[in-house]
Amino acid sequence: MDLLKLNEPSGDAFVFLVLFAVVVGGPLVVEKLKVPGIIGLFLGGLLIGPHGLGFIGSGNTTVFSLGKLGLLYLMFVAGLELDLGLVKRHRRSVVVFSVLSFALPMVAGTVAGRALDFDTSAAILLGALLASHTLIVYPTIKGFRLGSDPAVATGIGATVITDTLALIILAVVVGSTEASATGLEIAVQTGLGLLIVAGFSFLLLPRIARFFLARFGSSRTHRYVFALVALLAAATVAQVVDIEGIIGAFFAGLALNRLVPNEGDLMHRIDFFGAAVFIPVFIVSVGLVLDPSVMTEPETLRMAGIFVLACLGGKAIAAALTKPLLGFSWSQVGVLFSLTAAQAAATLAVADVGKQHGLFGNGVFNAVLGLILVSLVVASVVASLAGRRVPVPPEPASSAYGRRVLLVGSQDCEFRVTVAALAVRLAASDGGVVLPLIVARDGDAMPDLHEIEGLERRLGSAGVDLPVTVHADDDALAAVRHSVVSLSASSVVVDDPVGEWSRSMAPGDGLGRVPMLIVSQVSGRTRRVVARPDKVAPSMPVADLARRVAPARAPVVVDDGAPGITTGATDLVVSAVGADVQPDGATSTVVTVV
Amino acid sequence: MARCGTARWAVLGVVLVALACGNDDATANRAAGTFHSRRPGVLTVATAQVPAVGFWEGTAAAPTGGFEWSLAQAMAKRFGLARVEVVEVPFEDLISGRLGGADLALSQLTPSAQREARLDFSEPYLPAKPAVLVRAGHHVSDMATAREQRWSVRRHSTLEQFLRDKVRPKRPVETVEVRQDSIDALMRGEVDAVLLDFPVAAAIASTSAGRLKVAGQFPSEDNLAVALPDKSPNKEPVDSAVRSFTTDGTLRRLADRWLRVNVTGGLAEDIPLIAIPS
Repeated sequence: MDLLKLNEPSGDAFVFLVLFAVVVGGPLVVEKLKVPGIIGLFLGGLLIGPHGLGFIGSGNTTVFSLGKLGLLYLMFVAGLELDLGLVKRHRRSVVVFSVLSFALPMVAGTVAGRALDFDTSAAILLGALLASHTLIVYPTIKGFRLGSDPAVATGIGATVITDTLALIILAVVVGSTEASATGLEIAVQTGLGLLIVAGFSFLLLPRIARFFLARFGSSRTHRYVFALVALLAAATVAQVVDIEGIIGAFFAGLALNRLVPNEGDLMHRIDFFGAAVFIPVFIVSVGLVLDPSVMTEPETLRMAGIFVLACLGGKAIAAALTKPLLGFSWSQVGVLFSLTAAQAAATLAVADVGKQHGLFGNGVFNAVLGLILVSLVVASVVASLAGRRVPVPPEPASSAYGRRVLLVGSQDCEFRVTVAALAVRLAASDGGVVLPLIVARDGDAMPDLHEIEGLERRLGSAGVDLPVTVHADDDALAAVRHSVVSLSASSVVVDDPVGEWSRSMAPGDGLGRVPMLIVSQVSGRTRRVVARPDKVAPSMPVADLARRVAPARAPVVVDDGAPGITTGATDLVVSAVGADVQPDGATSTVVTVV
Repeated sequence: MARCGTARWAVLGVVLVALACGNDDATANRAAGTFHSRRPGVLTVATAQVPAVGFWEGTAAAPTGGFEWSLAQAMAKRFGLARVEVVEVPFEDLISGRLGGADLALSQLTPSAQREARLDFSEPYLPAKPAVLVRAGHHVSDMATAREQRWSVRRHSTLEQFLRDKVRPKRPVETVEVRQDSIDALMRGEVDAVLLDFPVAAAIASTSAGRLKVAGQFPSEDNLAVALPDKSPNKEPVDSAVRSFTTDGTLRRLADRWLRVNVTGGLAEDIPLIAIPS
């Protein structure tokens, strides 16, 4: 009689075990060899897949479905994280470099494809694939404190345009695989489809998001799940109009970009689940189909070599041309090249779609994976070498007041929702975050956990998604000063319902370069914003702050003392401390800048 | 103004791309692999049995329809081959790697480790969970009931292995050379259940005028795939073709027309899944 019956490991639990073992172990192993972790995920997928140990067979639909979700998530995050403000601020250099960085590899890839006897669709798709890039080495560049360098900003901004163009080309090429369509029909069908997806993503989705976050956004779980629903809805709309779902997911990320600050809690959750589950599962699922026998074939290696030459050559020439055209130094050219050479997300997405549509075979797909591996190594090495040669740029003259807004609660440890909304608008002007703070003075009861959770829920409905910090200090101003330093705040908004702060503050009492906006009186609705700059200290950014806190569609009027401007019941008045505010109605909002 | 100009150039570029792609001859795409047929202009397909309900209709010399016949025609068109010729090859020969001189085999074949030692298999074109075909009015919806049945299954098939390893019937299993013999035995009442790949079972049930039905299906990752000679250079173009047909809906349309079921999802609708105890 057998006392212990052992079965061979199998079933869903075992499949998920090996999958997540690779997700956690693959990068750990390769990073010890100074190789990017993404390679470990590819190789791990190869190990457990049908061409390796066979733990996950080619017929397994669950892992591949999860992988597809991971791909959509990857493209959503790519759109969400892009800094659209950079594109605006460095418009000229971004456009010039985008054209070069897209066109040169695109042409080189298309020519290479035709030389390899690919048909036109496959050659063009190859070109688009080589023309995209992923900002894998950006953390390395940021580590050199080059985040605000013009070349870095140009490279980041160019990603929006090159990846969007690559995906549009993908939509057109995939549309062309419909056997019965002529070229003109393809152009019209694809154009209409893209318009519908763009309309849904950029017009409808942000409105739905604002409504949902305002009504139900008090729960962090709801906010996160809503983000998932948004990305899947856009992908579904795309699929319905015969456009690849990844384009919908990317557009959804771009559309919600402004509503999800990069430093906010929601972005952290999106990043967390993406980095922990969805995106690694996608990369492992790609590794499952890696076929070493195909990868090492002479023809595959030859193709990979040609792809590397076309891609990295095109990107290198594009970067080099910025020296005469945009005046960048050679070190900046190196940094720009490293930022745009790395092929990962969009390349994988386009290659995978090309394969699923029968445009690319296993050989081409494996050659593209070889390109990705080489580009990641080259980009990492060049980033390390060039990054240290670029001088750290000085802090920009105009401050990003909205980057980290410290929101100080009232003396009774509360936040008025309208004041929180004002702080959120200030933060949104720079894609920043709001950091809520309660100052508990000696003798006051400290809010307990339950009360703090209640505060966070109410703040969540106003769009504040970071936790409340509690600071105990008898001197509220000192507490705010300490918090400005410890939290690196760029501005302060104080909820001052009883006028304690605005009555006690005088010119010169402020926080130096960090403006403090004291909100005393609050009205129900603001239809206009009136800025009253300080004539004694004209450098105080009253007008700038007024524009940042103005609600959408509320005009901003700068009152420099000329007759004819009087404030009324629906005006938000922003003035320097000590200035004569004199609201004409008891219900105007008063913001005093110190 | 500069931005409008750039946008206009971008739109023009996209339109040009569309026009260029619309003129493609898909047969000339080396990126997806090039198919080399043994006989110029002819795709020679081996299959074990014509007719096979839902898959091959008519005769081998003159097929008139069926899922695999239509799939063969779609592949021939994609590869730029003028016509399809069908050769009947015994099932035993097919799974032993002898395709009778054909370029590939379409015969409701399921890849297995044993078969992959002698054949190459393409990407799957249909999921094929093992399914239970019974007479109308008979029920097999759990493993205990399944074990009590008198079973029939095709000899040397992956389904025979599955039946013996996973189901472990209490009564002797009747194995047959030709699948039709199992169906006939079922109709005569000599056996209670026949184990078949789901698409096959569904096709037979749908043409039985209500006399037969699919009672359940077992969880499995099995699927149907195109079989090619071992180390065939044609695997890549066949894989590309199957992927393309999956994505553009060709396989779904063929399954709707010839098999009359939705078989492109992982689990066929409305057919209970019989859990296998661990």
